[in-house]
Amino acid sequence: MRIRLITPLALAAAAALVAVSGVASGAGSGPNVLPGKGKKGGTLNVQSAETFEHLDPGQSYFQIDYGVIYAVQRPLYSFKPNDPSHAAPDLAAALPKISSSGKTVTIRIRPNVHYSPPVDRAVTSADVKYAIERGFSAVAPSGYAYAYFGDIVGVPKAPTKKVPSISGIQTPNKTTIVFKLKRNFGATLAKALSLPLSVPVPKEYAKQYDAHTPSTYDSDPTKQAFTGPYVISKYSASSGVTLQRNPNWKASTDFRPAYADTIVWKTGGDPAVVGKQVLASKNGLMMDTPSAQLIKSTYQRHRDQITFAPLGSRYVALNTQKGLTKNVNIRKAIIAVTDKVGMNLTRGGSLQGVPGTHFLTPGQPGFAQAGGNKGFGLDYMNTPNGSLKIAQKYMRKAGYPSGRYTGNDELTIVGSKEDPWPATATVFIAGLRKLGFKVALSQVPHSTMYSKFCGVPKQAPNICPSVGWLPDFPDGYANLFVPFDGQAITAANNANWPLLNDPKVNAAVDKAAATANAAARNRAWAKVDRLVSEAAPAVPWQWSRDGLLQGTGVHGVIASWNADWDLAYSYLD
Amino acid sequence: MLAYIARRLLWVVVLLLVVSAVTFVIFYALPTADPAVLRAGKQPTPELVASIRHTLGLDKPIYAQYWIYMKKIVLHFDFGYSYQNSQPVARELFHRLPATISLTVGAVVVWLLAGIPVGVLSAVRPRSLLDRFAMGGSLVAISAPVYWLGLVGLFLFSKDIGKVHVFDGAGSYVGITENFGTWFGSLLLPWLVLAASFAAFYARLLRSNLREVLAEDYVRTARAKGLSERRVVLRHALRAAITPIVTILGLDIGILLGGAVLTETVFNIPGIGAYAYDGISNADLPVVQGTVLLATFFIVLANLVVDVLYAALDPRIRYS
Repeated sequence: MRIRLITPLALAAAAALVAVSGVASGAGSGPNVLPGKGKKGGTLNVQSAETFEHLDPGQSYFQIDYGVIYAVQRPLYSFKPNDPSHAAPDLAAALPKISSSGKTVTIRIRPNVHYSPPVDRAVTSADVKYAIERGFSAVAPSGYAYAYFGDIVGVPKAPTKKVPSISGIQTPNKTTIVFKLKRNFGATLAKALSLPLSVPVPKEYAKQYDAHTPSTYDSDPTKQAFTGPYVISKYSASSGVTLQRNPNWKASTDFRPAYADTIVWKTGGDPAVVGKQVLASKNGLMMDTPSAQLIKSTYQRHRDQITFAPLGSRYVALNTQKGLTKNVNIRKAIIAVTDKVGMNLTRGGSLQGVPGTHFLTPGQPGFAQAGGNKGFGLDYMNTPNGSLKIAQKYMRKAGYPSGRYTGNDELTIVGSKEDPWPATATVFIAGLRKLGFKVALSQVPHSTMYSKFCGVPKQAPNICPSVGWLPDFPDGYANLFVPFDGQAITAANNANWPLLNDPKVNAAVDKAAATANAAARNRAWAKVDRLVSEAAPAVPWQWSRDGLLQGTGVHGVIASWNADWDLAYSYLD
Repeated sequence: MLAYIARRLLWVVVLLLVVSAVTFVIFYALPTADPAVLRAGKQPTPELVASIRHTLGLDKPIYAQYWIYMKKIVLHFDFGYSYQNSQPVARELFHRLPATISLTVGAVVVWLLAGIPVGVLSAVRPRSLLDRFAMGGSLVAISAPVYWLGLVGLFLFSKDIGKVHVFDGAGSYVGITENFGTWFGSLLLPWLVLAASFAAFYARLLRSNLREVLAEDYVRTARAKGLSERRVVLRHALRAAITPIVTILGLDIGILLGGAVLTETVFNIPGIGAYAYDGISNADLPVVQGTVLLATFFIVLANLVVDVLYAALDPRIRYS
């Protein structure tokens, strides 16, 4: 999926997920059907050019996988298609109780959710505890366990060979689970419980699969114990899955309508062909993105068969710790001079994104408090076509009276050589040349760009023009912590590409992460966003949108938090 | 002959060892991306990366890694697990092999049925309208990339997205044992597309060889003896002219059995080529290693078969 090209972790075969929500201005919108409004029955045919990675909820960390996981399993919390800002209790019976210290989170789970055959019994809190513990083992390693669950008391320093017992996850009775944390992080942990790691796994049943490393609970997902409206009845790593109704699922315990009787999901093939097949079909949905050309032609000719969903942001990272870009005024000048509209044109134009003015993306909690589309009114950020005049103002502040760079140093740039990134980089570099900068550009495979250069602080160039971010769940923490907090900088797989380590930003992130009240939390993340924008660590040239295709006889519903179709809500006409 | 075959089989083993070692060094010692880091996810601590490296066995010296890898293959036929989706590579290779064999065998039949007659006719009627048309057409077929030809074929002739609904579309492949009719229908267009450039190349090669052979003294002698032109061409000249074709055919079959990457990808045929493509795209080293070894095996085996066939085709060749 395109996610692979905008999130570094996806390249790690563990694509980060979960997108922003709401609809940015412009074409298309999600149908946002409410439960009970659709038509039951029939077979939904789903296609994706990409194949699945991990369908074990403990390991799953990829947008395509989430499409299946959220139809067959129930995490503690999940998002309704049209409400990405509020995580609704799913397996949980109510919203989490967070202690005043923020160090204890208590959750009650529903007593009447049952596993599919052959397990059949009711889900207990011990199953959720075991599920999260699996994520800290080599048996079923989770790509985000340490990022969001690492503050739980008793978490091992590194994944253990066998599934560990974590003392900070307590189950006083069958329907209560308590998380004890090392610091005031409960408000953020509560948000992360919408991730698939909180999907229950029955220990007594799964242990036969978890005896292997890697667990065969993943390699043969038909053997899983399912809690959602569907079960995986057929699976082939090469060709896809078939989902059928879960006989033990009770609609009265779930908010998902689960309209289709059967869902057949074929994987593989060329995206252009898959896209055309879906458009020509009566009951098809395409789960990944076709080419910009197909999106454009579909929008022009079959507007009722395309829906757009916000999909994070793309930006140019400016290294705040190295060479010329250490100077904040030079960074501001670069942001100001960049032709963001031109860069967007290399990626499908306004249909697929608009220039950003700050770093919280449309639909994210806190976006409105951060000024919405206009942002904070910072002059260098509000230059969609690039402004030489504003850029020169900041160049003068940086110590270059002519408004142009007059030194001999080069700006080192490492970008992706995969289309359309080279074209995007060309537009960006044209702006740098207007300011007199000399550039040394290297274009490498996308994965190499992250794993050898932009994601490794010691090897990082001045500028990484081919990066982007998609938050794992709709919250400021998932949106701003990893890309801009100095505490998130790591020696490998680093995703704070600007290497921004501003004490003011770091402190504001800690404060926002500890804020439980929704309105106060949104304001706190908006403040972080402002501080980040003032530090000018990147050029936010695109708030992205993904075009999703559907057949003529199907009513697709977008899970806006995942920027993809929601299979439990989509139905046949 | 038997001693020759035994000797060659031993070389097959040596060659497989060498290829496996080379690919191992290329992908393990010079990785474009560190598999441990790739799997480490968000904000990995050094301990986390080290733990994953240990789990994957990447913390051992490269010779030890290679030894363990080969031991597993030889003793247990275990090619390891995909980094991407934890599937056993050996199982995936076996699951996907029938699709690749189906695609290859069918395409070979098509290109031989098309290429040989066209080559012969062009050779016996040089500079005729038929010859010019066939050789011109073959040039186009050779020049057209299979990926492009596949897309054009689908957009024009497939039942789902084509302008004229003739062939089954991409992704319709099923196993031969599941439904023979659907299997055959789903592969018709891929066979034609894959065979196009091969048929064209074989026709041109055969035309050129046959033209040379037809000018040989023994062909003149055969004609002088009063044999019919049909007998001269098909029984005497063609046998000699086709020998180089057999060499190439063997290699081509070996290469395709190792995976027709582009054709399988365009037509969404779950074969070895599509698997290799996924492995390369995702830096999935066990998958790349497994598909490379399988391809090598098929190529060297095909080479051996060709060499043995040589003796049958050409009476001048005898192995000792």
